[in-house]
Parts: sequence; structure tokens; C-alpha cells
Amino acid sequence: MTTFANALASAAVVVTVGAVVVLWRHRLRSIVLALAVQGVALAVTAALLAGHEHDRVLFAVALLVLAVKAVVIPGLLVRVVAATPGARESDPLVNVPASLVVAGLLTLAAFIAARPIVALVGGPTGRLVPLGLATVLIGFFVMVARRRALSQVVGLLLVDNGIALVAFLVTSGVPVIVELGSSLDVLFGVVVLRVLLARLTAAGFSDLDQLRSLHD
Amino acid sequence: MIYWLFLAPVVAGLVAVATPWRPAVAWLGATSSAVVLVLGVAFAVRVESSGPVGTGVLRVDALAAFMVIVIGAVSLLATVRSVSYLTDEVANGHSTLRHAALYSTLVQGFIAAMLLAVVANNLGVLWVAIEATTVVTTFLVGHHRTKSALEASWKYIIICSVGIAVAFLGTVVLYLAGVHAGIANPLDFTALAAHASMLNAPVVRLAFTLLVLGYGTKAGLVPLFSWLPDAHGQAPAPVSALMSGVLLSVALSAILRLRVIAVGALGVTFPRVLLLTIGIATLLVAASLLLAQRDLKRLLAYSTMEHMGMMTVAAGVGGPLALSGVLLHIMGHGLVKGVLFLDAGEVLALDGTTRIDALRGLLSRRPAVGAILALGLAGLLGLPPFSIFVSELTMLRAEAGAGLWWVAAIVLVVLAVILAAILAHARTVLFGPSKTATASPVSFSAPLGVALGVAVWFGIVAWPLAHLISLAAKVVA
Amino acid sequence: MNLATFAVGAVQLALVVVGGPLLLGLMRRVRSRLEGRDGPPITQPWRDIAKLAHKQRTRPTESSWIFSAAPLVLVATAATVATLAPLIALTPPLAASTDFIAVIFVLLVGSVALALAALDTGTAFGGMGASRALTIGALVEPALLVAVLALSLPLHSTNLVAIVADGSRHASVLVGPSHLLALASFIVVILAESGRLPVDNPSTHLELTMIYEALILEYSGPDLALVTLGESMRLAIWLGLFVNLVAPAGVAANAGAAALVLGLVAVAAKVALVGTIVAVYEVTTAKLRLFRLPELLAGGFILALLGVVTGAVMR
Repeated sequence: MTTFANALASAAVVVTVGAVVVLWRHRLRSIVLALAVQGVALAVTAALLAGHEHDRVLFAVALLVLAVKAVVIPGLLVRVVAATPGARESDPLVNVPASLVVAGLLTLAAFIAARPIVALVGGPTGRLVPLGLATVLIGFFVMVARRRALSQVVGLLLVDNGIALVAFLVTSGVPVIVELGSSLDVLFGVVVLRVLLARLTAAGFSDLDQLRSLHD
Repeated sequence: MIYWLFLAPVVAGLVAVATPWRPAVAWLGATSSAVVLVLGVAFAVRVESSGPVGTGVLRVDALAAFMVIVIGAVSLLATVRSVSYLTDEVANGHSTLRHAALYSTLVQGFIAAMLLAVVANNLGVLWVAIEATTVVTTFLVGHHRTKSALEASWKYIIICSVGIAVAFLGTVVLYLAGVHAGIANPLDFTALAAHASMLNAPVVRLAFTLLVLGYGTKAGLVPLFSWLPDAHGQAPAPVSALMSGVLLSVALSAILRLRVIAVGALGVTFPRVLLLTIGIATLLVAASLLLAQRDLKRLLAYSTMEHMGMMTVAAGVGGPLALSGVLLHIMGHGLVKGVLFLDAGEVLALDGTTRIDALRGLLSRRPAVGAILALGLAGLLGLPPFSIFVSELTMLRAEAGAGLWWVAAIVLVVLAVILAAILAHARTVLFGPSKTATASPVSFSAPLGVALGVAVWFGIVAWPLAHLISLAAKVVA
Repeated sequence: MNLATFAVGAVQLALVVVGGPLLLGLMRRVRSRLEGRDGPPITQPWRDIAKLAHKQRTRPTESSWIFSAAPLVLVATAATVATLAPLIALTPPLAASTDFIAVIFVLLVGSVALALAALDTGTAFGGMGASRALTIGALVEPALLVAVLALSLPLHSTNLVAIVADGSRHASVLVGPSHLLALASFIVVILAESGRLPVDNPSTHLELTMIYEALILEYSGPDLALVTLGESMRLAIWLGLFVNLVAPAGVAANAGAAALVLGLVAVAAKVALVGTIVAVYEVTTAKLRLFRLPELLAGGFILALLGVVTGAVMR
């Protein structure tokens, strides 16, 4: 096992563990911190691949990922958290131990679902795809199992980070123009969500249970 | 050459940002839509005579030209109505000049993003464009800034972002299959379609499922559809018209293009099973929610879901006949549904509610509004001579012709249920006694009447769209 | 099996028996220093044991032989593991059959004996302590077994000696993500198994929160001396296993006298270091409420599971 493979696997594992930490911790500040750490791990993954393949463009992508996912987006979210001191995910729909068990099952499901990709790509990169897919699935789970509006945004970002990990692992990143476009779109999306979140808070919503007026 | 398409919306959008809002700004937006429509026709003529335009990331083939025409037509209708909508809003104090300017800009951005999505010949650009429509329309949905509007826009962006994320994963996986098949430009639609048989089948299966689920979210398909009634119910009427009339069809046209690649790599069975399952499930969900609906705008939203489900079923069947039916349906449904949402917007503006049981006697109270609603619903239900009648018949014939009698039977039964439900709701809204009758201005009834007329025109005479539709159906057959 | 391996076993046993209470003393001293107190000397646990050994033994009237046997079982199981586990050398007696899972279950026998003895007293505190201890045990066990599975993946073997030997030969195994995740989970497990914060406060006698202290409330005199000795041995064994899995550097590869001395010093130093770290951590943290414990232990479980998945994908 080479150092490269080991380092790459460790970075990928940090991304997945970050998703687990989001389910594990109650304090929103720790949850946002876990997202930032995930962003760093993603950037490290991209940088490792760039070094391995001597790809300067990919290195630039790594810097972009570092800036957007590890600094700007967590920064935006931290300001939301700071506006509500001591904010906690106090009463999730699914309690923490059960969520963690579900996360374990989702990891195994990702392991199974990723088999065609692992079979096609293989090597030190392709075999890590289940970890990215597990992050995606855990992100979906965070979105359905948590009450806080902010937690839904976090779940969405987990999904996004997981997909980014898969993209880096299987193709060393999609072409840079797409990467640029998608990063900007995600950033805009988060800005829009941030503005909406502020308007929701101003209107007196903080908990998604209160968003029940529209239904059939 | 293709970039000229974006010039008008970009200029109109920038002007709306840069200058203080006044009705002329809204008229400029309408002009921009007219320019898009004219350019769409020009592209169609060019494509019909000398084949697709462009080779790079942007490419206008028959399908793209057709979709540009649909976008141009429906957005012309919506932006023309936006003029009086915004003028009234500002006059009533419901909306400030800044909000009106923001609205005008976002609508132009929305149109530009949809144009980019239909002319994109690249999976990545398509994704960026569809994501951009979500980001732009979130604020349009929340334009009224009431609690309900905020809730609807929150649901809208969250659910659509999930869908779009799934689509991105599908894009990555399909790209991976392309890379491993040795395709030089593995995000290129034409390249992927040309070399589809070389792609790794299990990976394409995964990718196509993810892409259909992802873009299906924007097309209002099962399972991620719950944003649709809320967003359509809360958005300003012209925005609902644009979303229901074209945005959902744009997402569907992306699925049509992706289906070509899937059929090339997997054969016809897997895409057919997937699309039939999702389409029929959407039909059933829409029909069951339509039955007990109490709100006119939500009723229209669920009807859109039903039509999207019907088109998905036909797309699953495949073949030139079914796809011609789908494309004609996109045009007919876009016009009629646009008219209906604008009409419902007028009802909301005048009566202050869209609750079905609060609207009794619409036909005698406001003859023009009521008549347009009645005609629009007739068109929506597929009564002749509207073009939806022709396209539904075409799709059913294609389904039966492919030996899928049971599919045609399910669709017919669901259509019958929906017919009964909508007629019952329509009777409540339209009929009933009223002492006063209020006339509506020509600026309201003229554009809507023209749009309905066009929908009838395509139901009777296929000219001038027939050739373009048959070319476009061949692109994705 | 030869004389040399027996020598290794004897040295290990002696180290654990002598060193266990010293480790406990060290951790208490670090703690009191950090809290601004001078604290008792490191040898205080030994003095306590010596004093207790001379005191009179009292037993609850209703208790049976289980109550008197439990301290012996506790010490005997700990002594067995201390002899057989690869603590200072890779050549303990019966090295070929030192299965990791067997080691865990031998230690578990000690915990169960203590819980049974607590039930045997028939007092309310004993029953409460036993119930809590077994609840924690039931939550810890899956995490522990999955962590062992993750550690055993590279070798396809759960032989503890082989796992430690593999780590000492190939440094790349030690920094592999699967190994690191398993050890992270192992930390949670050790804190829970040896009754440390944030799972249990070893220095509390507050009725509502105590777990371990409730178990041994009825012991006195020589029995309590044995229990204290056994518990400190177990702590030393857990930490010893942990340091050898994290950083096996210095573990003697053969039974030569020089290598053994080096291994003894190395393992003592590493355990002392980790013990200090644990003590520092305990000062800075608060005990978790009992109903939050499943969250912590489920976290340990999921880390171990991720370790297994990673190990499986990396193969």
C-alpha cells in the first residue's frame, strides 16, 4: 500500500467521518465546524490527485474548493449560528444513537450501490467511491431527520461534498469549467438559502415544524 | 450566432437593474421575449433547411429550436401580463419599486437560464443552467414575502437542490462511463449518443436512474414533487405560468435527450421500465391529489404534474410517433397552462383568494375571466379542437401501437378521473348567480385570447410546426 | 512452548501487577496537580491495598459464594490476559492462540463476575450498579468487536500477537485510515470499559451517578484490596494493548534479556504517557448524563464500522 493511497484514503475517510459527526453532535457550531473540516479534506483530496497526476488545473480546483467549501460557506453559516447563541439541534426527529445506526446501514448500502463504479474504475481512487456515496446518503438522511432549518442546509452541503468527493475520485474532477460553474452555483445557492434563512428567522420561524401552513 | 439568443434577456435584465423601475422596463422585458421567439423561429427555419447550428458546448438542433420557440411563446405571454401585474402591484403598494425591478431582472435571468438549458450540448452546462433556474426562481416564488411565500420558496430551493444534486451525481457517473469508453469529449451529448453502445452498461444504468430522479425533480415527477403545488400556489401568476408552462418541460426535454444515450447503451427496456414507472406513479399521485383540491392554483399545479406524468409515460414508450406527441403536448400545455395561471392570478388580484368554494359564479361576475378559465380548462382536459386533444391522442396511439395496451388503459382511466374532478371543481367556480357583472380590460383578455387561439390553431392545422416537430422527434427517438 | 516464553509471561504479569496500582496513583496525582492540589503520592494505591489486606473482611449476610469468588475471578482473568497478551514482547506464552476476541471475553468474564456479585448482595445500589454496568457493557461490546474486525482485516486474522507484530513491522499499517478509525473507536471503548470519564466518574460516591463504585460498595478488607488490584490491572492492560496497537515501537521481537528490558521500559513509559493524557482529559471534561451515553457509544460503534468499510474497500 503506497503512501499516496493511504493519504487519499485518509482524506476520504475524514469526509465521511465529518458526515457522521454532523449526526453525532448537537451544537450547531460543532456541526458547521465539521463541514469546514470536510471542505479541507476535499481540498486535500483534490490536491493529492493533482500532485499524483501532475495536473496544475486540478491544483487550482483544489484551491477553489478550499476557498468555497472550507472558508466561505462555513463562514456564512457561522454567522447564522452566531445570530442564535447556544443553538442546538435539541430534539431531532430520529434520536442520535438511532441516527448513527442508520448511518452505518447507509454506509453499507453505499458500499453495495457503488459496486458498478468500483468495478469500472478500481485502483486506489475508484475503490474509495463508497465513502463518497455514503456521505451523500448520510446527507439525505440529515435533511429528513433534523428539525432545524440550518440542519437542512447542512444536509444539502453534505450531499454536495459527497458528490464532489465521488467526482474527484472517479475522474480526477470533471472538467474545470463544470467544476467552476457548479462551485459558483452551490455558492449562490447557499447565499440564497442564507438570505431565506434570515427572512425566515425575521418572520419568526426557526424550526421546520412551524413550516406547515402549506399542505393538502 | 447562438450567443445572440441571450443578448435580449441579458440587456433587458441589466436595464432593469440599472434604471429605476417604471412600466417601460416591463415592456422591455416583453420585447426581449418577443425577440427570443423571433430568434427561435429563425433558428427553426435554419435547422429545417441546413441542419443543426453549432458544434461546441452550445448547439441548436430541431429539438432545441422547438424548445426556444416554446420558451419564447410562453414567456412572451407571461412578460406581457407582467407589465400590468407589476403596475398594479406598485399602484396598490403591494410591492415597492425595488421589488418590481428585482422581479423584472430575475424573470429575464430565468428566461436566459432556460434558454441555456435547451441549447446546451454539454451535460455540465445543462446542469449549471438548470441549477441556475432554481437559484433565480427562488426569489420569484418568494416575491410576496408573506410567511406562506417564504415557506414555499424554502421548500422549493431545498427540494430542487436535492434533485439537482442527484442529477450532478448522475452527470459525474455518466461522465465516468464516457471516459472509460474512450470518448474524447465525454460530457458532449452528441458524442455520448454516437458512442452509446461502447458505454459500460451497469454504470449507465446507475447514471440514468440518478439523472431521471434528479431532473425529474424539476419536472415535477415522483418522488420529489412536493415543492410544486406550494411554489406554484405562492408565486406571482406570471412566474407560475413560466414555471408550469416551460420550466418543467425544459427539465423534461433534458430527460428526453438523456434517454437517447440510455437507449443506446442499455437497449429500450430499462429506460422504458424506469420512465413508465415514474410516469404512471406521477399520474396516480396527481390524480389522487386533484380530487379533493380546494385551491384553484394548486389544482392547476397538480394538473401540470399529471401532464408531466403523461408525457413521461409516452417518452418511456419511445419512438417517433410518441415523441412527436410529447413535443406537441409541450407546446399546447405550455400555452394553455400559462393562460390558466395568468387567469388564476387575475382572480387572485380581483377576489383576493383562489379558494375554489369562495369563487362561485365567476362566469357571471367577471365574464371575461370566467370564459377564459372555462376555455382554458376545456383545452387542458384535451377537448377538441385544442392541440392537447391531438397530442394526447397521438401519445395514446403510440402506446397502443407499441403493444402497451395496459399503459394506454391506465392513462385513459386516470384521464377520465381527472376529467370528472376538474369538471366538478370548474362547475363550482364558474356557475352560480351573481348580480353584478364586471368587464375586464382588453390588456387582460387580448393576450390570453390570442394564446388560446394559437393552442386551437395547432389543434386544427399542424402548420408551421409539423416539420420541426417531426425533425425534433427524430433527434430524441 | 519453551522456558523463554514463560519468562516473558512472568515478567509481563509482574509488570502489570506492580504497575497497575502505580498507574492508578499516577493518574490521580496528575489529576490533583491539575486541580491545584498536591495529591497523594503515586504509591498511594499500593499503600491502600496493603492496609486493606490487613483489615477485617465483612460480607452481607444474604450473599453467597459468588460474592466471595468475584474478586478472585476479577484478578485471575486480568492476570491471565496480562500473561498472554503481547505487552512487552511479541513472544508471550501460547502466542499462536492469543485471539483478540478471546482476550476481550476473558476480560469480560471479570466484569460479569463483579456485576453478579453486586446483584448477589441484594442491595439497591448493587442492583442499580449492575444494571448500569451491564447496559454499558452491552453497548460497548458491539463497538469493540467491530473495531477488532477492522484491525484484523489486513491480516485476515484476529490473532492479537500477529496484529501487533504486523504493526511493528509495517509502519504503513499504523497510519492506514482503517486502523486509525478502529483505534479511535477503541479509545471510546476503553474509557467506558474501565469506568473513566466521561462515562463514569471513578472518584464519585454520588448515588445518582455512580456506576462502578456502586458495584463494589459492599466489599471491604482483603476483598476490596483484590478488587482494587484487579481493576487497576485491567486499566493497565487496556492501555497497554492500546499503546501497542497505536505505536508498537520498542516491543521486544525476541525473548532476549536486553530486548525484554527495553520492551518493559518502553511499554511502561508509553502507558504512563497515555495514562497522563487520560487524566488530563478527565480534568477538562464533565461526565455525560447516563441517557446520553448511548450517543457516545454509538459514535464509537460507527467509527469502528467505518473502519471496517474502509478496510474492506482498501483491500
